[in-house]
Amino acid sequence: MATRGIDFASLSLMDALDLAILVEEEAQERYEEFAAQMDQHRTPDAARFFRFMAENESKHGLELSARRAQRFSDAPRLVSRAMIFDIEAPDYDAARAFMSPRRAMAAALASEVKAHAFFVAALPALKDAEVRSLFEELRDEEIEHQDLVKAELAKLPLDSGLSDEDFVDEPAPQ
Amino acid sequence: MRKDLVFGMAGSGGDGIVSAGDSLLQAAAAEGYHGVMTKSFGSQIRGGESSCRVRISTDPILNPGGNLDVAVALNWEDFLKFGAELPVAGTTVVIYEAATNIKESEIPLVGVTPLQVIAVPIAAMAKETAGTERAKNTVVLGLIAGWFGIGAVAVMKGIRKKLAKKGEELVEANQRAFDAGRAFAMEHPLKTSMNVVASETKGAVKLITDGNDMCAAAAIFAGCQFFGGYPITPSTEIMQFFTDHVWKYGGAVLQAEDEIAGIGAAVGASFAGKKAMTATSGPGLSLKSEMMGLASIAELPLVIVDVQRGGPSTGLPTKTEQSDLFAAAFSAHGDVIRPVMAPTSVADTFRITIEAFNIAEYYQTPVIVLSDQEIASRKETLDPIDTSQFKIINRLRPAGADLQDYKRFKQTENHISPISHPGMLGGTYLASGIEHVESGAPTNSGSVHQRMNDKRTKKFDPLKDRRDLFEITGNPDAPIAMVAWGSVAGVCREALAMAQAEGLNVKLLVPYLLYPVAEGVYNDFFASTQKGLIIEQTHLAQTFKLLRMHIDLPKGVKSLARSGANPFLPGEIVAALHHLLSELQRSHEGQLQPQE
Amino acid sequence: MSATGTCEFQPKDYKSDLKPIWCPGCGDFSVVQGIYRALAAIGRPPHEIAFVSGIGCSSRIPGYTTAYGFNSVHGRSLPIAQGIKLANPDLLVLAAGGDGDGFSIGGGHIAHLIRRNMDITYIVMDNQIYGLTKGQLSPTSQKGRVTCTSRYGSLENPVNPLLYVLAYGAGFVAQASPTDLVGMAATIEEAIRYPGFAFVNIQSPCVTYGEEAQQIKGLKAISETLASLGHNPADRLAAMDLAQHYGEKLHLGVFYRNPEPPPTYGDLVKERQTLLSKDALPKERILDLFIKK
Repeated sequence: MATRGIDFASLSLMDALDLAILVEEEAQERYEEFAAQMDQHRTPDAARFFRFMAENESKHGLELSARRAQRFSDAPRLVSRAMIFDIEAPDYDAARAFMSPRRAMAAALASEVKAHAFFVAALPALKDAEVRSLFEELRDEEIEHQDLVKAELAKLPLDSGLSDEDFVDEPAPQ
Repeated sequence: MRKDLVFGMAGSGGDGIVSAGDSLLQAAAAEGYHGVMTKSFGSQIRGGESSCRVRISTDPILNPGGNLDVAVALNWEDFLKFGAELPVAGTTVVIYEAATNIKESEIPLVGVTPLQVIAVPIAAMAKETAGTERAKNTVVLGLIAGWFGIGAVAVMKGIRKKLAKKGEELVEANQRAFDAGRAFAMEHPLKTSMNVVASETKGAVKLITDGNDMCAAAAIFAGCQFFGGYPITPSTEIMQFFTDHVWKYGGAVLQAEDEIAGIGAAVGASFAGKKAMTATSGPGLSLKSEMMGLASIAELPLVIVDVQRGGPSTGLPTKTEQSDLFAAAFSAHGDVIRPVMAPTSVADTFRITIEAFNIAEYYQTPVIVLSDQEIASRKETLDPIDTSQFKIINRLRPAGADLQDYKRFKQTENHISPISHPGMLGGTYLASGIEHVESGAPTNSGSVHQRMNDKRTKKFDPLKDRRDLFEITGNPDAPIAMVAWGSVAGVCREALAMAQAEGLNVKLLVPYLLYPVAEGVYNDFFASTQKGLIIEQTHLAQTFKLLRMHIDLPKGVKSLARSGANPFLPGEIVAALHHLLSELQRSHEGQLQPQE
Repeated sequence: MSATGTCEFQPKDYKSDLKPIWCPGCGDFSVVQGIYRALAAIGRPPHEIAFVSGIGCSSRIPGYTTAYGFNSVHGRSLPIAQGIKLANPDLLVLAAGGDGDGFSIGGGHIAHLIRRNMDITYIVMDNQIYGLTKGQLSPTSQKGRVTCTSRYGSLENPVNPLLYVLAYGAGFVAQASPTDLVGMAATIEEAIRYPGFAFVNIQSPCVTYGEEAQQIKGLKAISETLASLGHNPADRLAAMDLAQHYGEKLHLGVFYRNPEPPPTYGDLVKERQTLLSKDALPKERILDLFIKK
């Protein structure tokens, strides 16, 4: 998780909304990528879960976009994806072939925690009151998201404790 | 008076015998003769045995000639090392260094009585006139001018030009040595005069060059803008020519760190949209073979010149052979066709190199040009070539509609897909050594692999109908046939003319395209054939075997194959043809008897 | 706001539709993201970029970009990249591959590219293992490492990629890792911008065959940015000193950047071409070179 070239002190509400949208976009794409990885590596349960997460991120993104459109119409965006790195998107390192749904959820949970930390960390630097309240709102939403994932996690039986690697085929040489 | 003379001269590297051959060839050209010069060396960089053959004729020359008319031995030890490369016969005048202290009746040539043997105090004359024995080669040129009427004026004109910068003193020393040689010859006339008739084309413009320079010049003419290579005898002069000239045409040359990098850079340049080339000899061809596989599957145009030498491995690096035929035809791994072309002379190296580029570009494929040490390093006098007769083909570029949803390996009717290159908007794709679908995306599907193999092999079908890449001479319906390629073709052309003059009904097929084997051309050629020879300088009869893989050769067609550095002589081929004729006659008699 | 915001190209413009074959969790996913970002920051359109690789897991990378890609043969990305650059010097040329591709089978090429100083950026995804062939010893594997071709532990010392290229005189040498995405993208960008040969070694973990210590967590534990050490990238000897810790420490950032970049090979070629072009015979008269008068 990191940012590049963002001056939080001078962040306007429009920029902040745009950043939030980009954060959701990044997360949505990453979950879609993970879902595709899981499809490719025959891990359907985790794929299904990552797709569910992608839809959630997409929903949040759309909500934020609607707010942005209402407030700033189609004013050109001044921030870009190049400024954010893995804010709410799970780290690439979190994916594994044959990962259990429980492990997939843990990865998602970690990324919600990460996103929460991002907003918390940004808050002290913010000057604009509206931006502050947006970030506080987003921070709190991350807690909700964490609860959502935790609830999903609770529905699942515990993992066997055995390593997946003990059951699967050896990797195939290319 | 003679119309044709073959000189063979040998000495140690310090004797400057090759440089004398050069002067003789240039003088002959200036006097309007046709000339061919070949060189052969021992393995020492300096001071080893060296020899050259110079053939001079009033008519165009087909090969460096058979038995020597004139043999010059500056010492016998070195001369004898060349064995069959400098064959002395009963028709040969032998000139040798008197300081060897060998009597004219005791020269060390076994089983042959030359026409005349003359010991000349060459070294002593050089020392006396020029003040140094090093001028021996100039004395020899004087002897040749005196006895054979070549270069009386032109030799010194050439030497004067060559040494002008080094001062008048040196030129004068050479002049004295030359005059002494010439005077000696005048004072000791030959038993049978061997003066060459004057050429009718004296003063006409002549070119002189060797196969390697011709190959490089042809490549630049064909639009080649990049050369990547690594020094290897006997191909290096091709790279040298590029380093001298290609910059002028906006091109570049890379002397790479190894053979693989040399062809790799050429593959890269071709991918980037430029015509590219590499050149090597047998060992380098082996190293380049993986890259050739890559260029085949990525369908990248590329010309690879292999100047063959004796193999395997280091083999005979300074001697000619044709034994890379299998390595060229079956270079690299996988199911793939890579066209193999072969020039037969310095002159046609120009055309064949251009054809190689045209085929590479049109079919988007690596093409191998199998030259050989003899063609590559021999110098020929040439009449000027009208370059406007050669058409240049460039690869098919995508345009307009092709660039909408561009597919690099698109299946087309003729299996050739428009090829883009970096910098072209809309043409981006992934080139790869891995099997790919039409877009270039990797796949490991068996059915795609089958389809793509089809595409990559069927695209060459029209190439096999290129009858202009085959030369048939003699009576096309003759019962006796020869097939020969590369430098051996020249010997067979002369043998054909000799055999025809002796009344034999024979024909000769010279393929410039060796692979893929054009079955139709050979089947038509062999239709009337009852007896024949596939003549080649390989130990394993590679050409014969390659043809048998593809064609049901008539039973009477046999192989005449031998290792490199053992040149064929036109006379021995004519003898072999006579032998075939007598076999044919016997078999006819045999067939007729039972019916009676 | 930073000017990045108005950039003509976005990272996604460099992302192709091909789905990576890499194992989930592979470090190379981050590397390709870093490359998208660096390219977006530089802003060259994809069709003006040629991206060459050899063979190996990481060598699949050109296919995951929208540039002209060339996934060639094992160890030979650099010769091909040089041919491309010489044929068309205006292209942005990238080469990439793994540690085996670059320092074993293709190890002989690096020195020569360095001494030619062509303007090519070479990214090695160093994971100390042969992944594509199922986990054999690689040239950067630590001594003692147990793999399927070193059941009793490797008897060889590893190559030190950083010292190797520094010793041959590379003008730009850096190291990055997915442990620091921002740093990695910035380092790749800087490498591409350097006018001459630039080398970036990326410690990119193999999730399938890599040892625990070589995974992200392990790497993070030994990583330090060179900037935080106060390293001056103009100091080549200091860079070599630091590079000696390859394998024990993960130093991130620029080890060496020649403060006065010499002319590139391409510059010299252009100069020569211009100088000699006036001597060119028209091509149709090239055989006149052989006229003997």
